[in-house]
Amino acid sequence: MSHHKLEAKELHFTYPDGNKAVNGISFMVSHGEAVGIIGANGAGKSTLLMLLMGVIFPQKGEVIVGDVHVTKKTLSMIRQRLGMVFQDPDDQLFMTTVYDDVAFGPRNYKLEEKEVEERVLKALELVGILHLKDRSPYKLSGGEKRAAAIASVLSMQPDVLIMDEPTAALDPKSRRRVIQLLKSFKHTKIITSHDLDMILEICERILVIKEGEIVADGETREILSNAELLDSCGLEMPFSLQDCPLCGSQKQSLKKLNS
Amino acid sequence: MHMADALISPAVGGAMWAATGGLAAYSIKKVQSDMDEKKVPLMGVMGAFVFAAQMVNFTIPGTGSSGHIGGGLLLAILLGPYAGFLTMSAILTIQALFFADGGLLALGCNIFNLGFFTCFVAYPFLYKGIIRQGYTQKRILLASMIAVVLGLQMGAFGVVLETLFSGITQLPFSTFVLLMQPIHLAIGIVEGLVVTAIVSFVWKERPEIIERAALGKTIGDISIKKVLTGFVIMAMITGGVLSWFASANPDGLEWSMFKTAGVEELEASDGIHQTLADIQSGTAFLPDYGFKAPESETASEEAAGGGEEAWPTVSVGTSVSGFVGGFLTLALAALTGLIITRVKSKKGRVAA
Amino acid sequence: MSGMINSLYNLRLLDDLAKKGTSIHRVHPLIKLLTTVVYLTVVVSFGRYQISGLMPFLFYPVLIFALGEVPVLPILKRIIIVEPLIIGIGILNPIFDHQTFMFGGFTVSMGWVTFLSIMIKCALTVTVALLLVATTGMDGLAAAMRMLKIPKAFVLQLVLTYRYIAVLLEEAARTLRAYSLRAPGQRGIHRSAWGTLAGQLLLRTFDRAERVYQGMCLKGFTGEYYTGKSNRIRIIDLFFLAGWISFFVIARIYNIPMLLGSLLTGVLN
Ligand SMILES: Nc1ncnc2c1ncn2[C@@H]1O[C@H](COP(=O)(O)OP(=O)(O)OP(=O)(O)O)[C@@H](O)[C@H]1O
Ligand SMILES: [Mg+2]
Repeated sequence: MSHHKLEAKELHFTYPDGNKAVNGISFMVSHGEAVGIIGANGAGKSTLLMLLMGVIFPQKGEVIVGDVHVTKKTLSMIRQRLGMVFQDPDDQLFMTTVYDDVAFGPRNYKLEEKEVEERVLKALELVGILHLKDRSPYKLSGGEKRAAAIASVLSMQPDVLIMDEPTAALDPKSRRRVIQLLKSFKHTKIITSHDLDMILEICERILVIKEGEIVADGETREILSNAELLDSCGLEMPFSLQDCPLCGSQKQSLKKLNS
Repeated sequence: MHMADALISPAVGGAMWAATGGLAAYSIKKVQSDMDEKKVPLMGVMGAFVFAAQMVNFTIPGTGSSGHIGGGLLLAILLGPYAGFLTMSAILTIQALFFADGGLLALGCNIFNLGFFTCFVAYPFLYKGIIRQGYTQKRILLASMIAVVLGLQMGAFGVVLETLFSGITQLPFSTFVLLMQPIHLAIGIVEGLVVTAIVSFVWKERPEIIERAALGKTIGDISIKKVLTGFVIMAMITGGVLSWFASANPDGLEWSMFKTAGVEELEASDGIHQTLADIQSGTAFLPDYGFKAPESETASEEAAGGGEEAWPTVSVGTSVSGFVGGFLTLALAALTGLIITRVKSKKGRVAA
Repeated sequence: MSGMINSLYNLRLLDDLAKKGTSIHRVHPLIKLLTTVVYLTVVVSFGRYQISGLMPFLFYPVLIFALGEVPVLPILKRIIIVEPLIIGIGILNPIFDHQTFMFGGFTVSMGWVTFLSIMIKCALTVTVALLLVATTGMDGLAAAMRMLKIPKAFVLQLVLTYRYIAVLLEEAARTLRAYSLRAPGQRGIHRSAWGTLAGQLLLRTFDRAERVYQGMCLKGFTGEYYTGKSNRIRIIDLFFLAGWISFFVIARIYNIPMLLGSLLTGVLN
């Protein structure tokens, strides 16, 4: 299914105030792959995702989804295939009820109201918040909001799911639920996060970004155990890799304390 | 400053609804034809901002007084007059519905008082007039201050006229004006300072926001004609009222110049109302709700009450039966409520 | 600050109430809106010396309270918050009304009658408007507005404002909290911080509006606002409307309590 591949070619983007946020990024994601994008604050992750979605357009380079170049003309079609979940779900849930929010996308694509309903219920069921369908978004908890935002994207039945920090500001249980949810999706996934343990669980491949450039692209475990690389990018090894639960050796920080 | 339903008559409420509805319809057309669809979410979220900001109190150092932003002018500065007016309308609608702040019938009045005067009078004619030569710190202060204060004065005067037109309160015109205008002068000065501070800050940090709104095509081509048409309609209404007052009061001129104040005039007020009522019943300028003197009211009530004598020309008999009957009705209503609630909760328990 | 928390609480409460499923909640939003508007118009059309004639108009809110299972207290609280404004304007009536009448041996200014009349009208109108929202909710009202052919752009904007009030109240409250923690004992916000404080919030709001817009675009928004099909108006809804309107009109034309009272006192005599 080559039409599900997503490709970025030599992307450059500078904000109007002269801030060079993305500086020559190229990569390709093939069908069904789960890719994590990591990097320090301000590395350019969110900007990169915006470029992929065609929310902003690169000054140089291009994004190709399947065989279609992302341009203003193809946007409507592209956006049906890529679904993006924002960093702050409050930005994505803007209607008065969860149902209307999840129905917003399908309705904009002028589907029959009956089909809209089917899709909405299915999406809500999938993320496990069917019982919240008549609630107002502002009365949901953080985790419920996240789930609702994901449902509002799923109802558009995208091929690729793009998520900006899906576990930010969630309590451990909600975070766990979101992780399980993401793991259960067969979609192609692109996820940015500072939650490296989550990335470790979900993604098999990682792109490391620093100052708008890719500094590493490879297998998850390999990159996440490379302390030197992570450190140079303002990151830290995930806890689950820091000590070895099998041989019982202590974490490095503890060792230092003891000696 | 929000008018309540209980203070207006249906005629005034309806007239203001019509005026506001017309302005809103025109503004929507303007916004939709001139702008990108980006404006709608911006208006929505900005409305929420103003709503929240209205609850923040700013203190004036050294005076102990405080105030908050009204929002009309700020919205016009940031979004342009049409979008600003619509946003103000949405805020007031939500306040009327969810907070009982100003009623549904009075909504037209409130939108007009707080939205029209700020967005379509104070903004284009005062604010823009001063700021035309370009933004500077001084001009922001001058323009915001003048536009806010005068916009608010107009709004307050609107409240006075609408209330008096409705004839619900018995406050004489001059007393009401003397009560309202100075209070709103003080409020206006605080708000003017706050708006100045906010606009200066935004202008320094993100000048493009203000410039886009101020110099963009949407505001550049305010069709003055349309605004003027609104003005003419307003002037006609105002003129109507004023001539009404003037003809009603033998010393009309004196009255309109505010020469007299205080007691003498207060005493004259009953006379005004009476003559007004006479004129009104003679000319039927407005349906008979407005500005009624007790006498004419009695007449209509007499008709309404099926020949009963009604309140003002009180005979002891009728006031007693009114009292007894009223009390009975009250009790009956309360009883009905109680019974239904009882039955319902029983049913609920049985079902459970 | 407490104002913000109260507002949030109020929004949540009305929203909760609107999610119930009583017979009143099931009445079509448009029908309820129309009934409310007729009610308000009729109540407000009463002359300023009328009190007894207003009494039958208690039946509508009482029935909605009871059938719609709306708690009385919170709504009453709202009235009490609003009444002072009305009192402020109405309290002067007794001073300016020089007519008097005798009641139980006392000479009373007719102004007190008008004052009481205003207060009752205020209580009735405020209650009924809140009851409309408490049994309909914002989505219902938006649907009703759409049926009244109010332009989509305005309805969408209204819905967005409603939605983001909660978000911005919380944001403003956070900002204020941070400010007041560092400026103890200050009632409001000092002049020197006005621009920065409100301005920052404003700029954040602009950024949020931008993100919300992007969120809408990603869901295929192109300026059109598509709502789902709204419920049909049922026969029973029409009965509701017709029944109440006839009641309002009859109660407006005939002073029922007065008739009742004179009947009763007549019988007693
Ligand atoms: N609207 C904007 N205007 C100007 N510069 C911006 C804008 N948005 C982001 N930037 C800048 O672009 C760079 C990349 O920002 P971006 O939001 O993509 O980072 P990020 O990797 O998502 O960071 P975080 O982990 O904090 O979310 C940063 O230097 C940021 O300051
Ligand atoms: Mg980011």
